[in-house]
Amino acid sequence: MPTTSTNSLPIEAIGLQRTFGTGDEQVKAVDGVDLQIQQGEIFGFLGPNGAGKSTTVRMLTTLLRPTGGIGRVAGFDVVEQANDVRRNIGVALQDAAIDPLMTGSELLHLQAVLYGLPKSTHATKAGELLERVGLTAAGNRRVGTYSGGMRRRLDLALSLIHEPTVLFLDEPTTGLDPMSRISLWEEIRRLNNDGTTVMLTTQYLEEADQLTERIAIIDHGVIVRKGRPSELKAEVGSPTLFVSVDAAATEPATTLLAGFGELRPSPEGTLGVGLTDGPSAVSNVIRTLDDAGITVRNLELHEPSLDDVFAEATGYRLEGADA
Amino acid sequence: MTIVDETTGLPERSVANTRTFPASVGLMKRSMVNIVRLPSAFVPSLVMPIFQTIAFAGTFFAITQIPGFPTDRSINWFLPLGVIMGSGFAGIGIGFATIRDLEGGFYDRLRLTPAPRASLIVGPLLSALVRSFIVTTVVFAVGSLFGARLTHGPSGLIPLYLAGLGIASIGTGWGLGLAYRFRDMRAAAIMQLTFFLLIFLTEAQTPLSVMEGWLEHVARINPFNQVIGLARLGFLDQPMTWNETWTGLLALVVIVALTMVFARRGLDKLSDE
Repeated sequence: MPTTSTNSLPIEAIGLQRTFGTGDEQVKAVDGVDLQIQQGEIFGFLGPNGAGKSTTVRMLTTLLRPTGGIGRVAGFDVVEQANDVRRNIGVALQDAAIDPLMTGSELLHLQAVLYGLPKSTHATKAGELLERVGLTAAGNRRVGTYSGGMRRRLDLALSLIHEPTVLFLDEPTTGLDPMSRISLWEEIRRLNNDGTTVMLTTQYLEEADQLTERIAIIDHGVIVRKGRPSELKAEVGSPTLFVSVDAAATEPATTLLAGFGELRPSPEGTLGVGLTDGPSAVSNVIRTLDDAGITVRNLELHEPSLDDVFAEATGYRLEGADA
Repeated sequence: MTIVDETTGLPERSVANTRTFPASVGLMKRSMVNIVRLPSAFVPSLVMPIFQTIAFAGTFFAITQIPGFPTDRSINWFLPLGVIMGSGFAGIGIGFATIRDLEGGFYDRLRLTPAPRASLIVGPLLSALVRSFIVTTVVFAVGSLFGARLTHGPSGLIPLYLAGLGIASIGTGWGLGLAYRFRDMRAAAIMQLTFFLLIFLTEAQTPLSVMEGWLEHVARINPFNQVIGLARLGFLDQPMTWNETWTGLLALVVIVALTMVFARRGLDKLSDE
């Protein structure tokens, strides 16, 4: 008789570690990561390149053996019960690594064979998934002829062939055009509504804001922030004012801005300050800079965003992130 | 409603255990499809041994004048070598293909499936055996057109095919093992160099009786010499008995076992990166 008790978490990491190299060349890529992801949750895992996101995902998906700590997925240990983990997870990898010589349909059939699905279901499953990701017309074409967006969608379909309970999506929308990205977001939401737990790694803060219920930010192999996006934004508190001035005036402007709150990481060519007194301080900032003979070339006020959370946690902003 | 596992409280797993054989056959089919769609990856391993058999037999036709040479047809001496080379290419080609999959990331997708790890080796191995069978058949057919004859009738094909399939298995194990360890094209050079060096440091071209110095010593202890001897059994003017056969079979079994263990351990190492 099925029950609805929740003794285990779909994804759990306790002090997860991964070290590469030996001796003086040893690098700690992941240094004691703790994660508890709840059933039916979309969890965002953020971090800059090289922060340890993919390494963590590779450990949790059994591709890489941890050098320390514990990883459990779908209630199974990622080292001792790796095959049980594999049976329960779907993974769409960062590079949409798909054999370009095969057709989408052939790859889905192969995937069905490797997951031990009954032969009688292969054709139906493949057809359903191709339709679901909008690739029915391209199903019999070689993957080498697919666009980047089509490959991503096929990659997602491949990861769903066995109806996994836990889905890992490693930067699934990187390099996609806005329409393809939104279409993939809709599919992720639909899967989540069907009960699939999703761990999503991304560099797009907007994506995390749109899709996830909770996020963790990893930097240099360590989780530096964890929580609901709204809570984390609230923790940042004050809005950020971005000011552009002439290059020669950067130094005096920085000194003056520091009087209005803490200086924050900002896009290149601008200065950022968290306004302690809120938006009402903007007029004072302009007046102070004007009195000092500094011409303001541009000025933008931003309410706290995930980018601010990210910047506060890591000390820098992601390239291309919405300020 | 989602069905929940009573023990874990999580949704029940939807997939049964995958069996080794169907998964291996699935991977073999994929490899065969790739041969058809990327002929350039297979054709050289078919053309080279044909060319080599004909060219060597023509160039070194006088080799049969060596006193005690075991056949009066030079093509009978070189055809089995062509089969060995072609089958070696077939096996090593699997190593190349695996490097491509590792570099491209597709191998991660295979490793993410619950297919038994053995199937990741057996599947490519089956593909190499099919390739070896094709190469052996084609080389024999072309060699026959150029005058090769089975001196003991069709039964002489059995050791030829066994040697070819065995060498393809060795090439596969060696190729996969190196591919897993290096994970890039560095492995390709090592695969080819070591494999073909070992084959040529045998009676591949000339009999032991005309070799001298270190070459003779190496050829005498090189187990591949027994394998080449096995492949030639049906083409020489000497008895084809069990006594002539078992050493070649033993060499094959031992080397195949060693290279398969080498491949399996390499596969495990992939998780250690």
